[in-house]
Amino acid sequence: MERTGSIMGGRVLSSLVPVSLGILGALIANFPVSVLGGLVPPPLLVFMPLYFWAMVRPDLMTPFWVFTLGILQDLLSGGPPGVWAASFLGAYFLIDRQRDMLAGLSGIGAIAGFAVSALAACFTAYVIVALYYWHVPPLAPMLVQLAMTVLFYIPAVFALGIIHRRLVGPYRSDF
Amino acid sequence: MANGTWKIARNRGGAQLPIALLAALAVALILIGKAQNTLFDRARASVTDWAAPALQVVRAPLVGLDRWMGSIGDIFTVYQENLRLKAENARLRQWRNAAVVLDDRVKRYQLLLHAVPDPSLSSVMARVIGRSNEPFLQTMILDAGKAQGIKPGQAVIDARGMIGRIFLTGNHTSWVILLTDLNSRIPVNIEPGNAQAIMAGDNTRAPSLDLLSQNVTLKPGAQVVSSGDGGLLPPGLAIGTVVADPAGGYRVVLLADSTSSEDVNVVDFKLKTEQPPAASPNDLPATAAGLPPAAPPPAAPTVAPIVMPPTVKPAPVPTAPFTATPPAAQNGAPADNGNE
Repeated sequence: MERTGSIMGGRVLSSLVPVSLGILGALIANFPVSVLGGLVPPPLLVFMPLYFWAMVRPDLMTPFWVFTLGILQDLLSGGPPGVWAASFLGAYFLIDRQRDMLAGLSGIGAIAGFAVSALAACFTAYVIVALYYWHVPPLAPMLVQLAMTVLFYIPAVFALGIIHRRLVGPYRSDF
Repeated sequence: MANGTWKIARNRGGAQLPIALLAALAVALILIGKAQNTLFDRARASVTDWAAPALQVVRAPLVGLDRWMGSIGDIFTVYQENLRLKAENARLRQWRNAAVVLDDRVKRYQLLLHAVPDPSLSSVMARVIGRSNEPFLQTMILDAGKAQGIKPGQAVIDARGMIGRIFLTGNHTSWVILLTDLNSRIPVNIEPGNAQAIMAGDNTRAPSLDLLSQNVTLKPGAQVVSSGDGGLLPPGLAIGTVVADPAGGYRVVLLADSTSSEDVNVVDFKLKTEQPPAASPNDLPATAAGLPPAAPPPAAPTVAPIVMPPTVKPAPVPTAPFTATPPAAQNGAPADNGNE
């Protein structure tokens, strides 16, 4: 009985890991202190766990959590509300439709798959902001942010993989 | 990195909301935010107030690291920098003398012309505790808020010039929208020539100038200052210098560097409400319609100037500012000479 409770507790905790990492990513990326003196935009750290678990464990990264992480990103980044929520949902839709293809990629291809998804999120945000302010923002800062996000994803995917195997993976007994 | 090894879970749970519904909610949030952003701003200000102590603690070592790394590069250029600063200091001393003389002259002219004195400016000093450089937003967070008298719309300056405006205030923190931000629009004057323009940020380091008059040609190096139009910002705040934009038009190289500012002043600009002029008999509707003016009420001495014939001039009455000015100052001599 105790063992069953322990397993259930562990299952609940493991299901919170992807969202918790997303929240942590949003907090770190939007912490208004930059080692680089604010010369480049921060990477979209929140998008990394979002992409990773939307691809391998969509039961743990549901559209509701994607929406919540987007709202958190909006709140912390100082931008208009709903922009990143809508953008992340757009990217999630793409991941949802192309999951088999994205999950089958490896090496450079896996990074390229992430880059395409991040590009979808950034481009959606760009279009929404352009419509919101009725003014076309410069493209360069968004591209720099995209490049930073892809660059940071390379080491991050190893860490996410380890976390997935150690904390989330063992409880995947139902599929 | 090899995603091919991942097993994909097919069960997404039955409780999740459809993507379309959440996307519609996000769009609704965007539209609500466009119409009324108070709720979201209040939440954001609360988060910043709550996180302010942590920001101050984390920022201190990073600022130290930043200064240390910056000083490494300065070691190799310290001699040339010293020579340059000496030359610049000599030039600035000459300009300071000229400015003191001109300031005194302007004050005397204002006195002679009975000019309206410049509105009083008070300021609150605040420390920068955070900077946000997002692709669509460039902001700064200060450690002063409503408790220190900070209000949205106030100008933020450092020792070199204007940095931005307050756009959100918490109890002990406030957010600054930088002049380079996409949403920044400032009415400016360009000297010499007194050309009027709107300086618009576009998330680049040099905001663009939208000239109000199409037939104005600006010279690179012209000074850009705030015009004070609209009464939101005080006039004459130093902003930057004009440079030609290779793509056409003009841009402004800002004097202040928002990436290195540590202590800033939030300027509280109290523009006095302009009183409408007193109505003359000709302005009264009855007189304008050709009707005889109404008889003044018997016990109302305050309306006497209205029925006064226009040819009668009231005797000039000296007002308080002029009687309070020492005669020595009116002659252009320093006020403390009167003690001798």
